[in-house]
Amino acid sequence: MSKTLHKRSDFIKRSMLSALVFLKDATLSEEYANRKGFLQSLDPRIKTISLLAFLVTMISLKSAVLIGTLYGFCLILAFSSSIPIRHFLGRTLFFIPFFSLCIVLPTLFSTVTPGDPVCSFNVLGINGTLTRPGIDGALLFVVRIATSVSLVVLLSLTTRHSELLKVLRIFGIPYIFVLTVSMCYRYLYIFATMVENIFTAVKSRVGVVSHHRHGQNVVAWNIANTWNRTTQMSEEVYMAMLSRGYTGEPRLLSQFYATPKDWVWLLSSLIICAGLFYSGHIL
Amino acid sequence: MHIPDGYLSPATCGLFGAIMIPIWRRASRAVKKTLSVRQVPYLAIGAAFSFVIMMFNVPIPGGSTGHAVGGVLVAILLGPWAACIAVTVALVIQALLFGDGGITAIGVNCFNMAFVLPFVGYYVYTLISSDSPSGSGRRVIAAGAGAYVGIGAAALCAGIEFGLQPILYHTANGQALYSPYGLNVAVPAMVLGHLLVFGWVEVIVTALVVKYLQKQNSVFFKGERS
Repeated sequence: MSKTLHKRSDFIKRSMLSALVFLKDATLSEEYANRKGFLQSLDPRIKTISLLAFLVTMISLKSAVLIGTLYGFCLILAFSSSIPIRHFLGRTLFFIPFFSLCIVLPTLFSTVTPGDPVCSFNVLGINGTLTRPGIDGALLFVVRIATSVSLVVLLSLTTRHSELLKVLRIFGIPYIFVLTVSMCYRYLYIFATMVENIFTAVKSRVGVVSHHRHGQNVVAWNIANTWNRTTQMSEEVYMAMLSRGYTGEPRLLSQFYATPKDWVWLLSSLIICAGLFYSGHIL
Repeated sequence: MHIPDGYLSPATCGLFGAIMIPIWRRASRAVKKTLSVRQVPYLAIGAAFSFVIMMFNVPIPGGSTGHAVGGVLVAILLGPWAACIAVTVALVIQALLFGDGGITAIGVNCFNMAFVLPFVGYYVYTLISSDSPSGSGRRVIAAGAGAYVGIGAAALCAGIEFGLQPILYHTANGQALYSPYGLNVAVPAMVLGHLLVFGWVEVIVTALVVKYLQKQNSVFFKGERS
């Protein structure tokens, strides 16, 4: 098989990988959410409110030092919640923060951000000068992105996905919307498995798709086919809902219970947020 | 296109969240009117479908691959208001559970991808397809054009949102507090990137899927009813 053909069959591999990554992420998150740890022991509603309060406070801050302190706090929370630090750092420092770092690189230089020069250099006859406002701005941007990703990762890794979606109720979101979100999440598993099976079948029967146009047809046909199966499935699901007593008014069964520990944590979080906010104004 | 947390100021996020509330309310009312109780799972499965479209990697010339957002395709299949809810649901799940797109930026992301993208794309589609028969080639072209214009419009909105940050939010010495590039950089970067590369992936997927659904004699172009 030629190298080109290998390259062109990549879309099959990548589609299978997308589905597998989704399934792996979802399974791994449930595994961490089921562990015994500090954040796992909290009421999902209280945990969501407190982490969102940290997120909003952090986005309002203009000091990289304070945001960095909050990132350190996230590491402590991850450790106390039985999340391996290596895994946590991998999830929070790569991809989005790394991508953000690449985006802000040009702003380090005097050509984009004028200001006090910190150092100058000459590479292959091209002069470059790093400026103080450029470095400060880039640092603030990247630290903020890394901390916001950390807070969201802490929430999603320590809460069962089904519970996290039900928490949407506390924001006054109608039941029908929460029901749609919960049902959608369940179908994602089915569809991800379906995508993986489709491309495993394509790979085993066709082996290699030799031209990108043919590949595009294969993908489009499979999306159309998935849509057809989707509509068939919705009819079956409705019948199943009817047989279980669905009358058109959705009801969510599980209830959350907050303990004194949850309220103490919420109060502490709000005090920390207020402290950070106040410090942000002084600094 | 998914804007993460920290790229936009809290005021921008709050403003777009406030803009989206009446849109979601209007979408819920429109969907209740057009979809029967029987079709509640249809909406959930449609939302899952709009999530799954992104898992399909499309081969592009040169051996690389890309994926489509599918907002216009979902709008053609479900109608623009139902697509608004379906894409919102997909974005909420992506932001909350997988960290793809920010939680504080959910209003902005929904405005770009669940409102501007499906609506602009859908109306371009209906404008071009007009009253042509459901099996005509004109509908395939209309679907492709809708997808291209829709993603371009959404990218333009994202570019303006990024570009306004350094103008509105900076320190006394001019240091940007959020996204660092002004309109002169952010808008061309977003719009050209989407029109030259990602827009074509969107066109290919949307047009070909509509063509295949026509071939299978599907009666799934719900959008035409709403």
